[in-house]
Amino acid sequence: MFETLVKTFVYALETYAGLGLIFAVPFVWFGIQRVDSEAQGSAIGFRMLILPGVAAFWPMFLHRWTRRIVEPPVEKNPHRISAKP
Amino acid sequence: MSVQYGAISWNRQKKVYDVTVLSLLALYLGSFVGLGAWLHPSATAETLLIRALGTAAFLLLHVVLCIGPLSRLDRRFLPLLYNRRHLGVTTFLLGLAHGGFALFQFHALGNVNPLVSLFVSNPRYGSVADFPFQALGFFALIILFLMAATSHDFWLRNLSAPMWKRLHMLVYVAYALLVAHVTLGALQSETSPVLASALILGVATVLSLHLAAAFREKRIDQARRQAVDEGFVEVCKVDRIAEKCATIVSLSGERVAVFRYDGRVSAISNACQHQNGPLGEGRIIDGCVTCPWHGYQYQPESGAAPPPFKEKVPTFQVKVVEGAVFVHPRPNPLGTHVQPAEIESSQGRRREAQSR
Repeated sequence: MFETLVKTFVYALETYAGLGLIFAVPFVWFGIQRVDSEAQGSAIGFRMLILPGVAAFWPMFLHRWTRRIVEPPVEKNPHRISAKP
Repeated sequence: MSVQYGAISWNRQKKVYDVTVLSLLALYLGSFVGLGAWLHPSATAETLLIRALGTAAFLLLHVVLCIGPLSRLDRRFLPLLYNRRHLGVTTFLLGLAHGGFALFQFHALGNVNPLVSLFVSNPRYGSVADFPFQALGFFALIILFLMAATSHDFWLRNLSAPMWKRLHMLVYVAYALLVAHVTLGALQSETSPVLASALILGVATVLSLHLAAAFREKRIDQARRQAVDEGFVEVCKVDRIAEKCATIVSLSGERVAVFRYDGRVSAISNACQHQNGPLGEGRIIDGCVTCPWHGYQYQPESGAAPPPFKEKVPTFQVKVVEGAVFVHPRPNPLGTHVQPAEIESSQGRRREAQSR
C-alpha cells in the first residue's frame, strides 16, 4: 500500500515536471513576451535562467497565455489596496 | 531596476562577492575532502564528496538565514544582503550535487526507480534511530529548487512581491527539514560531539538572531498613534530624523517611511516594489530614496522611480508643525506627487508665534 502511494507520488511528480519542460521550452522562446512586456527582446541567457521556474509553474503561465493576459498582476498590500484612486 | 530583463546585471560588487564565495567554497570542499581522506583512510572518495557537498550546503544555508536579521540589526551587514540570491542559488546547487551523488550511489544501481527507492528502501518511518532521513532532504531540496528557480526579478513581477516573499519564506520549512535530516541521519552514526555541538550552535544562532530582529520590528508595529489634527497623526519630532534618512512608523496596516532631506519632509510606503525591502532603512542618494537591499530608487515627493523606470509606491500627506512631523494615514494613489513639508518655514512660524 505504502509503495503504491509512493509510486503514484513519484510518477505524478515526474509527469508534472516532464509536462513542465515540454511547455517551458517553446514558452520561454515564443510566449514569454506575450504575458510580460518587459521580456520583449530579452537575451537567451535570461530565457535559459527562467526556464526551470517556468517548468515548475507552467500551469500559471499556460493560464495567462491562453487567456491572453498581457501583463503580470499588480502587487497588493494594505497601502496599495487603500491607495486605489 | 530595469525596463528589460537581463540574465544577471553584473557589476564590480557582484563579481567580488561571487569570486569570494566561490573561492571560500573551493577551499572548504578541498579541505573537507583532504582532511577526511587523511583522518578516515577507509572512506571512499564518493562518501567524502557527498559529505563535503552536504555540509557546505547546510553551512551556506545558515549564512543565508543569518544575513537577513543581521542586516536589520546592524547596517554594516547590508553589503552581504545585496547579492544574497547568489548565495541561495549556490546553496541549492550544492544540495543538488549532494542529493544527486547520494541518489546515484545508494538508489540508482538497482532495478527500482531511484526516487521510489529513496522512499521505500528503508520503511522504518516510526523509528528515531533508523528513520529514513533521506526523504526529508528530498523535500528540502524541492523547496530550495523552487526558491533558486524563482530568484530572478522576472519572478518578483510575475508572482508579485508578497506572493514571492511567501514562497521564499518556505526556506524556514526547508531549514527545519534539513536540521531533522542531519539529526536523524549523520548524527545517528557520529560518535564525536563536534558535529552535534556545531548543529546546536548553528540552530541557536539562527533562532536568536531572528528573535532579536523580530523584537525590534515589533516595537515599530505595536506603537499606537492617534489622529490629532484633521486626521493627521503625530509621528515624531523632526530633529529625531537624521538628514537624508527616515523614521519608520506603522500606519494603515503597513509601514510608512518618513524621510527628511534638504530642509523638507516626505512620506512614502515603506515596502519597495522590488522585493518589499525596507525603504525607510535606506538613504536619499542623488535626490532619490534608495532601497538598502538592491538599490531601487524612488523620488520622495512622488514615490515614483526616476524615468525610464516604472516602479511606484504610495505617498502620504505630511506636515511639520512646531518641530513635530504629522502624517495622514490614508495612502495616495501610486506615484501621486505630494508637496514636501518645509522644516524651515514651520520652525520659522514657531519662532514668530513665540515672539508674539
